Amino acid sequence: MIKTSAKRLGLAALASLALASTALAADKPYAGLTLNLASQNDQFAAVIAKLAPQFEEKTGATVKVDILDYGSLLTKTQADFVGHTKNYDLITMDIVWAGQYADNGYTVDLTDWIKRDAAELQLDDIYPATIKYIGQYNGKQVAFPFAGYAAVMAYRKDLLDAAGIKVPETAEDFVAAAIKLTDPSKKIYGFVANGQKGAAVAQDWLQYNAQLGGSILSADGKPTLNSDANVASLKVYKELFDKAAPPGAVDYDWGGREESFRQGLVAMMETWSVGAPGYYDPNMSKIVDSVAITYTPVGKGLPVKYGLGGWGMGINADIDDKQKEASWAFIKWLTSPEVQKEFNMEGAGSYIRKSTLADPDLNKKYPFLPVIAKSFENADGDYRPRIPQYPEMQDLLGTAVNAVLVGGTDPKAALDEAQEKAAQLF
Amino acid sequence: MTSLASGSVSIPQRRRSGLGFRDRRRFFLIALAVPAVAYIVLIALYPLVQGIWYSFFDYRLLKNGGRMTFIGLDNYVQLFTDNTGRRAIINTFVFTIGAVFFEFVLGLGLALLLWRDGRFNRICLAFLLIPVTITPLVVGLIFRALLAVDYGYIGYYLAEWGITSPRGLFAGTATALPTLIFIDIWEWTPLVALILLAGLKSLPGDILEAALADGATSWQRFKLVILPLLLPTVFLALVLRMMDAFRVFDSIFVTTGGGPADATTSLMVYGVKQGLQFFNIGYASAISNVTILCIGLMAAAFTLMIRRADVKANEQ
Repeated sequence: MIKTSAKRLGLAALASLALASTALAADKPYAGLTLNLASQNDQFAAVIAKLAPQFEEKTGATVKVDILDYGSLLTKTQADFVGHTKNYDLITMDIVWAGQYADNGYTVDLTDWIKRDAAELQLDDIYPATIKYIGQYNGKQVAFPFAGYAAVMAYRKDLLDAAGIKVPETAEDFVAAAIKLTDPSKKIYGFVANGQKGAAVAQDWLQYNAQLGGSILSADGKPTLNSDANVASLKVYKELFDKAAPPGAVDYDWGGREESFRQGLVAMMETWSVGAPGYYDPNMSKIVDSVAITYTPVGKGLPVKYGLGGWGMGINADIDDKQKEASWAFIKWLTSPEVQKEFNMEGAGSYIRKSTLADPDLNKKYPFLPVIAKSFENADGDYRPRIPQYPEMQDLLGTAVNAVLVGGTDPKAALDEAQEKAAQLF
Repeated sequence: MTSLASGSVSIPQRRRSGLGFRDRRRFFLIALAVPAVAYIVLIALYPLVQGIWYSFFDYRLLKNGGRMTFIGLDNYVQLFTDNTGRRAIINTFVFTIGAVFFEFVLGLGLALLLWRDGRFNRICLAFLLIPVTITPLVVGLIFRALLAVDYGYIGYYLAEWGITSPRGLFAGTATALPTLIFIDIWEWTPLVALILLAGLKSLPGDILEAALADGATSWQRFKLVILPLLLPTVFLALVLRMMDAFRVFDSIFVTTGGGPADATTSLMVYGVKQGLQFFNIGYASAISNVTILCIGLMAAAFTLMIRRADVKANEQ
């Protein structure tokens, strides 16, 4: 408390200093303000921290970026919301948290502000899917998208060519190719995905599940974790782990999965587009010359849809109006075409604008941008349901799917148990 | 003389205040105890009572606007009927019994080996204490790295030589918990050894000499003289380790996260997930209370056992 009030006093002193020089105050409407931003530790975090001084130069507001891992971000921000402690002004929100945010009113509903500032935001240039899925829930806009990710398939041209395999266009082809490409004696594996208990395995399985026609929510919003399609897709997922994945993959989370691909252990992997810049970076990747990115293969005869994920920026509903205003200014700045371009030139791997994905400089640097553009146009951001119960459903799946992968449990039995528990959440 | 003089000076003052020496002394002692009592009430008693209270409610911060609904013992029933809850209870007991048993046996052996005071023994002891000084979280991270099948110095070769499954120790439902028990043993055996060694060093030398003079063999001396005299220290070591092992969290959290499946989910791992991830305060409180109750019961059982052994030793 003492620290905070000292900080406030300091801020007040700074603010009055700024006010004293009137010319300065007119140029910089938020001089002296500090915005605390809680950011997921994705590629964009360091870039935001790097670019934030530009915002300060423009508006006078200092942005402090607190970079947190997924679990800490969730716990710290939830605690901040529940306790109304106002520690954070801006919060990066995972696409799947929208339901919980909307239900509990954690963040400012941005609907009216977006309408008011539509021209300034150049809304036409932003993919509608990113606005819809990343932050819209039950008529509220609880966050504004700034980092859209497309589910894409990364593969090794050299390995596929050597084996005489065409780039898989259907999920069935993908499975066959993955098994065929695997040769443990040469330490080459056809496939890799997250196997680690928890969010890691749940999210990756949901991605493959959606492409194989599964869904964990019925049309009327009831959980269907143990549907026939889901059980079938889980069997396929297990088969891939048993026959085509590096042995350690059952314990991989995103970091381990990406690393195994960059180290040249793996021929094909479905992943978020945000990791793609890393494959082309010779400092961390051994596959710079042989990697390629394409669309995620969908099951035969199923509608063509590509997974959409990513992060929106929300404004803490508890903070005072001036802070909210400055926070909104920051969001507008961060999502403006110029900043989005610079942001991605720095390797953020986070896209929401058509103009950014079409930018010649960026396309020269990252040849896979057209894949993201087409994926955004046919995006499905609901394969991981963005409902308030999602975190707990994800946890149930995280245990069930992992239990199947490490042996022992039968896919149907595992999903039956998860379904029984999930039903209690509704 | 001085104290007498000052005493006679202060007598009139005391009379003026209307309180006798005994009362003043009592107030003084109470005043001394107040901070400690306040500390216990605030830090231990209040949260404990609050936790018991919460455990009778459906209290989720993320649902129904955080409203509390009385549900009686439902949270406890859930813990014992839920597969993960039951698994967590079993895992915690297996972990505690396994870890403390081996730590005690190995610790006692080490303490006996290091009993004789010598330079070599003192150097050994210093080195032995290194694991104890590392925080369990870091120990977990170190072992996670060492045992990783892709890049770990140990895990890679264990898998390569076919000693473990190619997926590694942490990824097997049968091997993950024993591995975590091993890590705990690695870290805490030296502490048990140190406590027992301190006990050994404080044993009365004359009794040991008498036993030697009476012609007792080494085993007889150990069984009939050393062990009974060492019992209070043994009790201390066992209770300390038992309480600590029962609330194991950090090393599991950073290595397996409770997996694979629920193979290494302990009560604390489960409780932290319910409380700090899902903010299901009622259920998390019930899990904590069961943990506290188990620790309390086990400590009581230990005390009883040791006391009985103590009485028996005295009778002999």
